[in-house]
Amino acid sequence: MKPPPFDYVRPDSLQAAVGALADLEWGGRLIAGGQSLVPMLNLRLAPLVRLVDVSRLEELRCLEETSDAVLFGACIRHAEFEDSEVPDATNGLMQQVAAGIAYRAIRNRGTIGGSVSLADPSADWITPLIALGARFNIVGQEGKRVCQAADMFTGPYTTNVGDHEILVSIEVPKLSAEAQTGYYKIVRKAGEFAMAMCTAIRDKQHGLCNVVLGCANRKQILLPNSSTYLADVGEWSDQVRADFRASYRKDMQQANRMEDLYELKLCETAVLQTVESALVNS
Amino acid sequence: MEKNESGVDEKNRQQPFRGIGARINRNEDARFLDGKGEYLADLNIPGTQEVAFSRSPVAHGRILSIEIPEEFRSQVFLMSDLGNIKPVRAVLNHPDFRVSDFPAMATDVVRFVGEAIAMCVAPTRAEAEDVAQSIFVDFEELPVVVDTLESAGGRTEIIHEGWPNNTVFISKPGNGDIDAVAKKADVIISRELRMNRQCVVSLEGRGVLAYQDRRLQELVVYSSTQQPHIIRTILAKLIGVDEHKMRVVAPDIGGAFGVKNNLQQEEVAIAALAKIVDFPVRWIEDRREHLIASAQAREHHYSMKLYADKNGRILGLDAEVIVDAGAYSIWPWSCAMECNMVVGVLPGPYKMEAYRGKGITVLSNKPPLGPYRGVGRPGACFAMERLIDELAREVGREPHEIRIENMVEPDQMPFTTIAGKLYDSGNFPQSVRKCAEMINVESFRERQKLNAKNGIHIGLGWASYVEQTAHGTNEWLSRNLSEIFGYESATARFTPDGNLILEVAIHNHGQGLETTLAQVAATELGVDPTNVVIRYGDTAVSPYGLGTFASRSMVMAGGAVGKATEELAEKVKRIGAHILETTFDSVLLRDGMVVSGERSVPFSEICRVAYRHAQDLPPNEEPGLTATVAYQPESGTGAFSYATHAAEVLVDTNSGLVKIDDYVVVHDCGTIVNPMVVEGQIQGGLAQGIGNALYEESPYDSNGQPLASTFLDYLLPGFTEVPTARIEHIESPSPFTRYGVKGMGEGGAIGAPAAVVNAINDALKNTGVEINETPVSPRRILTAIQRAASTSDSNEGNNL
Amino acid sequence: MNISLKLNGKDISADVEPRTSLADFLRSPEHGCTSIHLGCEHGVCGACTILIDGRISRSCIALAVAADGCDVTTFEGLNDDELITQLKDSFHQNHGLQCGFCTPAMLISAREIINQNPDLDEASVRFAMSGNICRCTGYSGIVAAITEVAKNRK
Repeated sequence: MKPPPFDYVRPDSLQAAVGALADLEWGGRLIAGGQSLVPMLNLRLAPLVRLVDVSRLEELRCLEETSDAVLFGACIRHAEFEDSEVPDATNGLMQQVAAGIAYRAIRNRGTIGGSVSLADPSADWITPLIALGARFNIVGQEGKRVCQAADMFTGPYTTNVGDHEILVSIEVPKLSAEAQTGYYKIVRKAGEFAMAMCTAIRDKQHGLCNVVLGCANRKQILLPNSSTYLADVGEWSDQVRADFRASYRKDMQQANRMEDLYELKLCETAVLQTVESALVNS
Repeated sequence: MEKNESGVDEKNRQQPFRGIGARINRNEDARFLDGKGEYLADLNIPGTQEVAFSRSPVAHGRILSIEIPEEFRSQVFLMSDLGNIKPVRAVLNHPDFRVSDFPAMATDVVRFVGEAIAMCVAPTRAEAEDVAQSIFVDFEELPVVVDTLESAGGRTEIIHEGWPNNTVFISKPGNGDIDAVAKKADVIISRELRMNRQCVVSLEGRGVLAYQDRRLQELVVYSSTQQPHIIRTILAKLIGVDEHKMRVVAPDIGGAFGVKNNLQQEEVAIAALAKIVDFPVRWIEDRREHLIASAQAREHHYSMKLYADKNGRILGLDAEVIVDAGAYSIWPWSCAMECNMVVGVLPGPYKMEAYRGKGITVLSNKPPLGPYRGVGRPGACFAMERLIDELAREVGREPHEIRIENMVEPDQMPFTTIAGKLYDSGNFPQSVRKCAEMINVESFRERQKLNAKNGIHIGLGWASYVEQTAHGTNEWLSRNLSEIFGYESATARFTPDGNLILEVAIHNHGQGLETTLAQVAATELGVDPTNVVIRYGDTAVSPYGLGTFASRSMVMAGGAVGKATEELAEKVKRIGAHILETTFDSVLLRDGMVVSGERSVPFSEICRVAYRHAQDLPPNEEPGLTATVAYQPESGTGAFSYATHAAEVLVDTNSGLVKIDDYVVVHDCGTIVNPMVVEGQIQGGLAQGIGNALYEESPYDSNGQPLASTFLDYLLPGFTEVPTARIEHIESPSPFTRYGVKGMGEGGAIGAPAAVVNAINDALKNTGVEINETPVSPRRILTAIQRAASTSDSNEGNNL
Repeated sequence: MNISLKLNGKDISADVEPRTSLADFLRSPEHGCTSIHLGCEHGVCGACTILIDGRISRSCIALAVAADGCDVTTFEGLNDDELITQLKDSFHQNHGLQCGFCTPAMLISAREIINQNPDLDEASVRFAMSGNICRCTGYSGIVAAITEVAKNRK
């Protein structure tokens, strides 16, 4: 189980990295932590010509905190969030998410930008970043552009980032101190990919209220009815639980996701656990 | 001389006692803790070229052509390039057994995805894989047989040409009048059950390295195998080398569990290649190969009827078992071993008037089935014990009570079962009683009543089983096996400086035998077990023997070591008495010395005389201090360990996840040599049993494509999935073995699937759900609940 | 491609193919770090765990070229580490190993989690160690060994 031959470059500037992708019509691929890509290379499942190592580029390791947001370089590692080595914009949500990604050895290498760019549907970062309304800074030959969270994730393993573009950083709006958050995923065993996952955020001060569902092999979806219900709901109770269940079912009906009963149930559990923990624990 | 119950010479016991029965730490730990184990991939033999196999991407196809790029032609070896290599033919000596051949690499037809077609040789594995990827094989695809029941149902697509159907063998053990029992039974528990296909997953894959030793003029084959001597015997035959010109070495092995207990096709191919090239060649199995091309395990289907009276007394069992053995027959076990084992042991620890077993082995276009920890018995135990729990439910009693009442009683031992097995000793009901005490069933039932909130249910499950170990000559004969594994041999050898070496033909890959065999020697010779060297895993360092499998090594090799060291002890005493100028009867062995009253002579002195100064030996005593013996237990029918497991689980019907809250094992393996090692084996087996129960599955799609070829799809139980079991021992020495020892390597894996699945069903008993299939995945649980909900009239408002 | 890195405290440089994993590079006869074991080569089993820049990492899914300039420590380089010595003894006392294949990586991972969290109990040991697979022991001896060392260091 060894990779096929390929070239490897480690450009010393962002511009050079863009160039290293652009001068190949096909087969250029970025590597950061490599925790998902190298397994695929070892299995010979990811044909490529050239690896462009961006893990050490300053622009991708940047960290900027302003009064209303934090800008995280794409190559900040999961463990840095877990260990609170970077500022927290989310009342602990991002730390909680990071600490649950795979295993410590993976978190020490894997990066938020790598995870986002690969867009494995069971990857942990995606539902919280959608729920938070993160903005993604992308650079290509045509220059810089910003992609909103709602447009970023186009389907399993596909994103708004083009083949010749690089995700440079992720801007996460800060939550207010009163904001409530919940994150829950269902895994068969510790560290495995989630079968279903959900993030819920209610930040009344910022007018933000989102419930985002992720599920194995499916595009993440924002649940409009559940989000609306969350915005004004009172304390957690059996009735609230039943109401959430009803709004979740409505969301799934609207999303045409009623046919797989097993998935429907798993996702329901993830959603209910998430909103409960948002309302009860935070 | 005083002897204790297990026949051990009490006076030889040093202080503190470290012989048989002592909980001492392991001798072999040191090199592994230093990171200095030497596994096959670690061998550094100059000039070694690495091999990658080109393997079939289709499940069934006729090879029309193999295109090899010209630049790589000299690096690629097909079967036809290897000379006259015989195909492997693994059969049972029974006229009804249908014979097929398993070539080392496919020549005309491939029969499962992953079957080897060509060897690609290069300086590195990466380059070898490049070569393998460049080969294009054109197939005429043939119809694929995947479904076990369809295959058994006589489907017309035939896997081996010339066969009328895909059934290999049918065995029909049993006794008594099942029809009479059926007529008088008050209760019939009738179920279909399934234990799905699994992989074995040793953490180190398989691997082979071979080269010609120019000086010794022999072919040296390193293989990650549990049975080097046996492998030499069969390899020599297949590739046409005389056995005395071949050496097989098994280095340190990173786990085996049965998957390294077969002749492997790659062993044949690599050894044959080494014969015709003038450099060492090595193949290291990678994880994908392991998951799709190694021998796999389980895949049982059960149709069972258990007959009982209204109090839950078992009257009889009628069982039809179909095992899907994959595409080929594995040597030396044959593809029918798994199924034959299942129907041979199904009645378990229970008495009954009648048993009718029918075991049908069928083939399919999947990897061949081989032994995996438990062989047949995890499935047999799962099926039988599921029925026992259902019987208890049916008659309104606690499952453990039903077990106690139906079990063979201690005063009935030795006991011949309805299936013809001879149980040697034990107190089966006591294991259940002890287990029930440890669990506190009444208090559990109280908690269970309170505890069904928010879709979370708790349940208690039981499993009792009998584990046949150290199968002897009679047993293998009765199974019609081509090889008879009824004995083991050992050489015990003092070195001239007074230290002891034991040379054995078994292998040690986690079982602690470098410690426990030393404990046997310590018991006989009064030596320090931490200073005994155990050599094994090499046809050049020990007498011929059969290897480590089927929970046999402690009984067989332990017996051989005991016998050899006893022989040495006699001679040491004779020499010592002579040196001390006293009589043989007045000396004993203690702490590495021959002792007579206040006087003593150290073994170093005995050995000096024995090896270097024969003039000081007693008259007529031969020089040297070496003994080579073979040992077989007094009965060739095996020593039977047994246990009762109880699992307490929590089932979350919101997610379908199962958590094991408590796990109890009450176990009897006769005389315990080292309790720490025994508990380690139970706990380790338990982890694999939990994998079997909840996580591990190797499914195939309708084209015969494997759906679990990485650890992302093939889930192994980890730290958070395996609880630490509470373990208690009963010690009923076997009357048939030296020291009363019984084997016990597999039991943990045998009981767990049944106990865990029974517990899940106990948890779900009020939901109308019953699950009789492993592994019990979240999908299976939630789907079963959904099905139950849609068949009952209630819709919304129930659990889903 | 030429790389330079620190391996077990020594500066080394070498010419490697870009596709060579750090595990294969370090296991090669030239470097001889055969305590690194390859159990899956796709980052799941943990048997190849080493330290890159002081943190546990999977060497089977790290490329040697990407370790250029890094400080790499394998189990071979931890001979004199006090915590590793304690863990080895505790594994021995608690029967925390059987075949030994997962053992060096277990020890390295255990060292990091103890260093990171002085308040480990059985549950947190289990969760933190969940990236390492053992197929022999059923984990109980390993959990006991690590928990004991963590407790004794408090």
